[in-house]
Amino acid sequence: MSVGSASLMRRKPASLSRLPRPGISETLPWVLLVILWILDTSLQPALWSSEQIGLTLANGMALVLVAMAETAVIITRGIDLSVGGMMAISNTLLAREVGGSTVSVLLWCAIVLIIGAAGGALNGILIGVTRLQPFVVTLATWSIFDGIALWILPTTGGSIPNSLITLPLGTWLGLPRTVWFLVLLIAIWAVLARTRSGRAVYALGSDPVAARLSGVSRRKTSIKVYAFSGVCAAAAGIFIATQTASGSPTVGDPFILSAVAATVIGGTSLFGGKGGFAGTVAGAFVFTLINGVTFQLGINSYWGELSQGLLLIVAVALHHATERGARARGRRR
Amino acid sequence: MSAEAQSSPEAVRRSDRREWLTRNQSIFIAYALAIILWGITSLFASDFATWDHTKSLLTEACFVGIVAAGQTFVIISGGVDLSVPWMLNSVATLLTLWTHGHDSSLVWVVPVLLAGAAGVGLINGIGVTVFGVQPIIMTLGMNGVLEGGVLLITSGGQSPNAPHTIAHLSTGTFAGIPIAVLIWAVLAIVAWLALSRTPFGRKLYAVGTNGTVARLSGVRVGRVTITSYVISALCSAIAGILLVGYVGQAYLGMGDSYLFTSVAAVIIGGASILGGTGNYFGTIAGALILTVLTSLLPILNLNPAALQVVYGAVILVTVILASVRIGGVRD
Repeated sequence: MSVGSASLMRRKPASLSRLPRPGISETLPWVLLVILWILDTSLQPALWSSEQIGLTLANGMALVLVAMAETAVIITRGIDLSVGGMMAISNTLLAREVGGSTVSVLLWCAIVLIIGAAGGALNGILIGVTRLQPFVVTLATWSIFDGIALWILPTTGGSIPNSLITLPLGTWLGLPRTVWFLVLLIAIWAVLARTRSGRAVYALGSDPVAARLSGVSRRKTSIKVYAFSGVCAAAAGIFIATQTASGSPTVGDPFILSAVAATVIGGTSLFGGKGGFAGTVAGAFVFTLINGVTFQLGINSYWGELSQGLLLIVAVALHHATERGARARGRRR
Repeated sequence: MSAEAQSSPEAVRRSDRREWLTRNQSIFIAYALAIILWGITSLFASDFATWDHTKSLLTEACFVGIVAAGQTFVIISGGVDLSVPWMLNSVATLLTLWTHGHDSSLVWVVPVLLAGAAGVGLINGIGVTVFGVQPIIMTLGMNGVLEGGVLLITSGGQSPNAPHTIAHLSTGTFAGIPIAVLIWAVLAIVAWLALSRTPFGRKLYAVGTNGTVARLSGVRVGRVTITSYVISALCSAIAGILLVGYVGQAYLGMGDSYLFTSVAAVIIGGASILGGTGNYFGTIAGALILTVLTSLLPILNLNPAALQVVYGAVILVTVILASVRIGGVRD
């Protein structure tokens, strides 16, 4: 009897601990973000103004968009290296073609996003239908997209109309437009993740066999998720155009691996099925703020590069260690 | 065919015969493609097939070939090494910085650089095996650390010229053959022997095919994986030393293109990114294809944009050709 009650006593907290509770991979990006933000603002209190917050968000927005693409793809256990090329296509095409009128701006933004969807769908078809590895397929299409961007605009140049450049600036309802844009992106993700296709993306990543048995089409899901990735990359190309006011065929390449890094720091697992956009946003701004802090401290910006690399390794190692610890505890139980 | 059979490691010999044939098939496809491209280029440019031009082509191919040798080991183990660009760049930069263009200090600089590179590879390997960081993340992070570190040391400025001895290694000839190509040939033989004739090679294929099975059959998976990253770092370091001699100076970003080309050469050469398959002969064909393409396009009056598109198309075509044969075996 006493043994039974003791085991009951022990079982109670055990069942409580089985409830979902935020692990280190969910909390780490936010903790880092808060630390860096406090550091950054204490070094330069002017950053607290709404205008400055808007600018900080604008600095990180292109990375957020590419990382949004990467998050969706990584949840399916894939990876998309071609986002850099797609971003370059969108950026160069816009810089070469867009005119000053609103109609022209809207038209070309739409065209660029459609091209993004088409290019991404091509990746999805190659991956879903021919069953080739995502890493290999998107390595190839990265090169192809980069080549097309280089053909559209061989060197940095072109022009971006003022109406597009000023789009992320200014405020709406008292808040910087970039804040609203970020809210919009989070809302889009939240809605998409709850659709049938969104759930299929998670299902495919967490267990491809179970997903297939429960009626998830690997082919359709791959095409959809890579098309989504292409659209996000194209949107990033548009956004970076508003920042640089010109087009460049090599604009996207630095974003590819940074986006993977932001996604992973944000708690999305490369093994698929786990993670989401909220953590990725935190991860992306952690990287953006590291650069800000090194700038404020007046130390060499190369420290930023170095600490980003270190942070990535340490964060993932830490995540792995806690997960292994949790698994060991689970086995003992 | 019989030569190919001998070059296959025993771990592979045990596996499905059809799969084994398919792997050789993809290597044949790679060589056929290299020869076809060579033929086409010779048709368009009369001086292309000359020994002089072949020499310079082989020299250019040797940088990709050597970096891709290390990448082959890592990819066979089931990983990938994305720290290649700045491993190469760090070694090239530090070589010129520490020697100041003088031969006398090479005696200690080269061993120190190679030891340092091995150390970086060791950290990559330990990160992947002991700390469980995925290869993409570990080597990507390491690339950032190396980039930041080297830029901090050099403050991003210009570095001195390469010492004469190093320049001679990359541009000189021995018995009519470029020394760099001879070094590549030696490394190729070592890589082939290591993969096909040593216990380490057999273990490497076993780890890449199925890490758990390899561990249960007594392979020290961690040790084998770590070794593959050390080899890759050393290969990038050697390529960095040769490249700085060839170009004459180290510059920031000189290694950037080798991330893409080294992985591409291994994949075109028939290795699966999932690990467990591939061999260095295939990778050599991949390196040759990429180099011949680079020299083909100016002859055809095509611009760099077309080269990028063709690079991508070649990767897709070769992997699709390889996967058509495998059919349902994949997954």
